[in-house]
Amino acid sequence: MLLLVAMTLLLILTLRHESGRAQEQVERLATEAAEQVRASLLGAQQSLQSLALPTNAAPERWRAEADALLRRDGHALRIERRRADWQLVDAVDSPYGPPLFSQIVRADIDFDTATACRAALRLSRPTFSASYFVPRRDATGLEVLDLCLPVRTEGRDDGFLIATFSLPALLADALAADQIRHHELSFVEGDGARLARAGSSRGRGVYRADSLVELPGSTLRLRLDSQAGPPSLIPNVATALVLGLTATLFGLLLLLARDAGRRARAEAALAEALAFRKAMEDSLLTGLRARDLQGRITYVNPAFCAMVGFSAEALREAPQPPYWPPELVPVYEQRQAAQRQASDNASREGVETLFMRRNGERFPVMIYEAPLVDGQGRHTGWMSAVVDISAQRRAEELSRQQQERLQATARLATIGEMASLLSHELNQPLAAIASYATGSLNLMEQPDDATPAMVHEALQRIAQQAERAGRVIKSVHDFVRRREQLREALGVEQLIEAVLPLVRLQARKSGTQIDADLPQPAPRVLCDRTMVEQVLLNLARNAIQAMEQNADPASRVLRIRVRQTHERWVTFYVADTGPGIDRELGARLFTPFFTTRREGMGLGLSLCRTVVEQHGGAMDFDSPVPGTRHGTEFRFTLPSARPRTEAGADESAEPQTLTP
Amino acid sequence: MSQMLDPTLGLPVVYLVDDEDVVRDALAWLLRSRRLLSEGFGSAEAFWQHLQSRRGSGPDSAFPGAPACLVLDVRMPGTSGLELFERLVDAGLLPALPVIFLTGHGDVPTAVAAVKRGAFDFVEKPFSNNALVDRVEQALQQSAEELLRRRSQQAQSRRLSVLTERELEVMRLVVEGHPNKRIADELDISVRTVEVHRARVFEKMGVKSAVELANLLRDGGD
Repeated sequence: MLLLVAMTLLLILTLRHESGRAQEQVERLATEAAEQVRASLLGAQQSLQSLALPTNAAPERWRAEADALLRRDGHALRIERRRADWQLVDAVDSPYGPPLFSQIVRADIDFDTATACRAALRLSRPTFSASYFVPRRDATGLEVLDLCLPVRTEGRDDGFLIATFSLPALLADALAADQIRHHELSFVEGDGARLARAGSSRGRGVYRADSLVELPGSTLRLRLDSQAGPPSLIPNVATALVLGLTATLFGLLLLLARDAGRRARAEAALAEALAFRKAMEDSLLTGLRARDLQGRITYVNPAFCAMVGFSAEALREAPQPPYWPPELVPVYEQRQAAQRQASDNASREGVETLFMRRNGERFPVMIYEAPLVDGQGRHTGWMSAVVDISAQRRAEELSRQQQERLQATARLATIGEMASLLSHELNQPLAAIASYATGSLNLMEQPDDATPAMVHEALQRIAQQAERAGRVIKSVHDFVRRREQLREALGVEQLIEAVLPLVRLQARKSGTQIDADLPQPAPRVLCDRTMVEQVLLNLARNAIQAMEQNADPASRVLRIRVRQTHERWVTFYVADTGPGIDRELGARLFTPFFTTRREGMGLGLSLCRTVVEQHGGAMDFDSPVPGTRHGTEFRFTLPSARPRTEAGADESAEPQTLTP
Repeated sequence: MSQMLDPTLGLPVVYLVDDEDVVRDALAWLLRSRRLLSEGFGSAEAFWQHLQSRRGSGPDSAFPGAPACLVLDVRMPGTSGLELFERLVDAGLLPALPVIFLTGHGDVPTAVAAVKRGAFDFVEKPFSNNALVDRVEQALQQSAEELLRRRSQQAQSRRLSVLTERELEVMRLVVEGHPNKRIADELDISVRTVEVHRARVFEKMGVKSAVELANLLRDGGD
């Protein structure tokens, strides 16, 4: 800005100086020209005064002298000699041009001359007339000026000597030739009308100067008008160069400033974007890891550091990722090498793998990898997002365990609840019936008058309660019938697999081994899945509990075996290595509410048999296990489901009796 | 069999606390067939309320006023039989109000523990009905005995209260088996005076000999 002001100021000053100088020059020239004109005219006056000397009065002599004068002085056009009464005596015209008054009569335009002569006479000295226009033959004209010189001979006025001067000629000689080329010289009247002019070109009216040519009797106004226009902005090459350079410099500066501004803005935007990206990376829970093509870590975000427990520096400097579990290093190296070769086909699907925390804890992660490509489109490495899925895994595991436990509970609850409900529902009416019956008997022992009425009442109550018990039994029956409709054809292995986890759960506590033996392919049975699973669970649990009395845990083996024993029947065997069941106990084994366990309901086995019999099968046991000297083996049969259409007919088949 | 009980104690009552109406009614009916009065309650809380109202009324607030026993179901919604039992123990009602627990399946260990804490007995469901009534009668017997003991204790303390200071001293020495001469020396009084006091004590306590007196004091004192 300062520069701009300075430049403008400099320019203005230069221009002003320039124009001032030009004006000064013009004025000087004008004065010079006026002086020259005046000198010329006054010189001519001198010559004319010598012509007026009486020695030259003779007509021939005068003519010769006048002619010589005209030849000497190129400005004078004509010299006249008049008497005091204005009578023309003689006249000589300049030999350099046509006679002045060839077109017009002299007497018609001698008013100014006469005026000047009268003044000259009065003042007794030479006097110039005002200028006047003399038309010429070629339709042009000429502005002229007369000098009137009173001639005195022996003390008395003896006529006049009149010389006529050409104003243009005066002007043409007023300045040197080279000056004349660049300026216009003119005589002007007071109102600015040009009387005569000289110079090669018209002036532009920018630099002009007037100068007065003061002559006795007349004054001429001389005007010099320079051809030079107003000073141009670029007066010369140097200035132009400086100006151009300055302008260029200024332009460059402007461009630079704008560029700098743009750069600053871009930098600010970049910084902001970087900060944003950093904040984003830091706030991520997902670990980010960048590796070069050699597998060296070039970048990790805080989440990744937190995940593996190593600092970013330690990770970058380690020759090998410290979070690789040592036992898996060869595998991972191989994988990395394979990845290096197949550099292009990075899949967007994650890869699950195992990492190690600093404390040695292994944890599963999911890695999503994408190639890192630099600005030139070169593949420089890999960027991976690493997600710690150990919590997820734990949750899954927990939920699976809970699911299993829930299932186990549900399965055990089905039969337990039913038994409990049954016992409760039946207990009440049966207890009441027993009370009424006993009470009645008591009364009958010592009957009195009130006895019949009381016994009657008791019998009514007994009937009511019996009916209620009947309803309970019927509802159980309905329940069982409903279950019958749920029968489906199943592979035996499905049943076994369903109960094995629960059986294992129980077996683990006592360190019991489980030996499941199924033929391949496994036979298929038609059954109510839930109920049969209950039977299997019950038998297995009984077996495991029976073996808890064994001193040696190694001898605790639960054997579950399935065989297709008949075309229509599949037999399940559940055998233990416990102490076995003695004959007396065995006889009551399937009796409802009989139990050898303190907390047992005594319903397990009887219900199991009921379930099996509902399916048309049979249940039995042997103790000791056939072929051995200890343990118990429970067996039951289920109708086999054949892929053929008779599957339905099996249900109505006669119950199979077991032959061990 | 209630005839066996001292009729002066009043009619014995069996309190039945069981949430199952059917069972309770049947049991009440059975007890009636054995000429036993019963009062049924559907919950432990209801019985406790009844008890509070009985204890609060009357100047002689000892409960029960007549031989009584409580047949109590262990498992009940709300306050359980066991909780009620604890409250009765805390209230010191137990010897006069024997408790027979009715236990369901699996409650046997708790019932055994309750017996150790002073319950009369427990009967497992399903129970043999007359056996339960037999135990109820035995419980009533115990209750009656307890009431009788309380009664004689009260009578004895009434009698002792009319003895003078000197008579009490003489009685203590008599019961300890000292002869009159020794007692006179001990109390620094004449043998004659001792004999007078002795005759007074025998009269007031309603006994004829020193042995009789000693027996009376022993039975009523512990």
